[in-house]
Amino acid sequence: MSWTWFFLLEKEFKQFFRDPGLPKMAIAFPVLMMLVFPFAVSMEIRNINLVVVDCSRSEASSLLIRTCTSSGYFHLVDVCDDPAYAQRLMDRNEADAILTVNADFEKELGNGSSLPVGIKVNTVNGTKGSIGSGYLTSCIRMFVAQYTAGGAGAQTSVSTSSPSIDVSPKYYYNTYLDYKVFMVPALIVIAITMLTGFFPALNIVGEKETGTIEQINVTPVRRSTFILCKLIPYWLVAFFVLTACLIIARLMFGYFCHGSLWNIYLFTALHITVMAGLGLLISNFSSNAQQAMFITWFFTMVFMLVSGIFTPIASMPRWAQAITWLNPMRYYNDAMRCIFLKGSTLTEVWYDALGLLAIGAATITGAILTYRKTS
Amino acid sequence: MECDKIIKVTGLTKRFGNFTAVDHITFDVRKGEIFGFLGANGAGKTTAMKILCGLSLPTEGSGTVDGYDIRTQQELIKRNIGYMSQKFSLYPDLKVWENIRLFGGIYGLGFKEIKQRTAEMLQSLGMEDLRNEPVGSLPLGWKQKLAFSIAMVHKPPLVFLDEPTGGVDPETRRMFWEMIYRAVGEGTTVFVTTHYMDEAEYCDRVSIMVDGVIADLDAPDALKDKYGVPDMDSVFRTVAARRPAGKEAAGA
Repeated sequence: MSWTWFFLLEKEFKQFFRDPGLPKMAIAFPVLMMLVFPFAVSMEIRNINLVVVDCSRSEASSLLIRTCTSSGYFHLVDVCDDPAYAQRLMDRNEADAILTVNADFEKELGNGSSLPVGIKVNTVNGTKGSIGSGYLTSCIRMFVAQYTAGGAGAQTSVSTSSPSIDVSPKYYYNTYLDYKVFMVPALIVIAITMLTGFFPALNIVGEKETGTIEQINVTPVRRSTFILCKLIPYWLVAFFVLTACLIIARLMFGYFCHGSLWNIYLFTALHITVMAGLGLLISNFSSNAQQAMFITWFFTMVFMLVSGIFTPIASMPRWAQAITWLNPMRYYNDAMRCIFLKGSTLTEVWYDALGLLAIGAATITGAILTYRKTS
Repeated sequence: MECDKIIKVTGLTKRFGNFTAVDHITFDVRKGEIFGFLGANGAGKTTAMKILCGLSLPTEGSGTVDGYDIRTQQELIKRNIGYMSQKFSLYPDLKVWENIRLFGGIYGLGFKEIKQRTAEMLQSLGMEDLRNEPVGSLPLGWKQKLAFSIAMVHKPPLVFLDEPTGGVDPETRRMFWEMIYRAVGEGTTVFVTTHYMDEAEYCDRVSIMVDGVIADLDAPDALKDKYGVPDMDSVFRTVAARRPAGKEAAGA
């Protein structure tokens, strides 16, 4: 009976807890991920700086302005009647959107012809611009609906003749389009990826650098035992972080997983396997921490950007979508969101499991083939 | 007398691309002797040693270490040797007793045995007070003595020491050699590389490696007689200076 694994695990745990940074990181990771980042990475646009060029100065136009500001999305910078002045404000980046109300706004509003307002949007920040103009349009639509329905009685006879279709979407799985609930599973994905792929890789390369791995290589320890004992502490930390994230999400935001927690842990385990293989591949090919860092950094960037965490994969061009098929984060993220938000079961996200298994098999095989105890 | 040769190699060669680090060396090491493996930097000592320890496979040639084949039984060799590398290689963030425990465990000692060995080792090193110190904070000389003891934790019949006294003060070096003699007294065979020629005098036999080949091999006194010089330092200079010229001539 060999107790080698026991002594090696003991060593790894001692080193982990003795490290000046790692234990703190294990605590700070879930806290940061759940308490700070859901707010920081929100795609909700607020505080859009709005300038109104009001040439009408009528009761209707002031009502329109009030409708916009009371929506909560806009910050009214100025109301003026000089379009050139408004443009200057935008040029100086003080205005994100300009709403121009023509002089005969109130009159034309009544007769049902085209609405005499104009919208100009600053699209240096494309997302803010397009979402801002969307908000502005819906505010105007809301105003028109209110105005023509309950507004000036004299004009009702004309306006009722124009039929209007009111579309009100119902959002499934995230009723209030809360961006935070959408990001919580994705942030867990990022945390687990960092913890299980790259830290062990850096650890192994660290032993290469100090020369201790050579001392281990002249002992009868099996390589697989050595590597496995290196990975296990990080896996436990990953599950600890996952659990902490789920608890914090529940306590702080009241978000709970709609699907089975077992599935969450199962997909996490699958993802961990993939990342372990990748981490080992990286450590096989780098002889010092700097190299490992660079390769790690490269993979993290690519994985994150084409994972579907921040931008939907469906809206990527075909070739970029093809790249995402090779990205383990894509599958893990998709599965986590589906399970967490809509309670998907394994029968619904089996393709994610399959993707992770396939990539996992490839990385682990690659890691074993490229690893040599002797040269 | 096959049985009293603990290392036997024939025509051992290691090439890295076009470069031949070890070029058909043939020698053997007798059981219970101190075998000095000398050579200038880059002469191929470490490469040859790595092959003997099962860290590296030879390109050509064959041999046995403690009766096990260097090509096919590397894992068995590793069980039966101790190795202390040129680069300090204990875990600096683990305490003295933790390093002993780890390597004891790796070599398959039981918990009881480890405890006993730790006590013995700390006592003979005079390091009982340092038991709870992280190894990284020890002075170099202490580290090297500890590393040597840990290489011997499983009492192997053969131990490889790669420049064990590099950068160590003369007093500690002397103590280090006392430890080596004690190990030999208990029946261990010591295979040691060094750059200090006074240390070469302590060896039973030395080989001098130049450019990947063994230029000469004999007892220190025999070598001194052969070259008619008073000390090993002069032997080394003579052999090291002679050999490259010979190689060039052979090449031309």
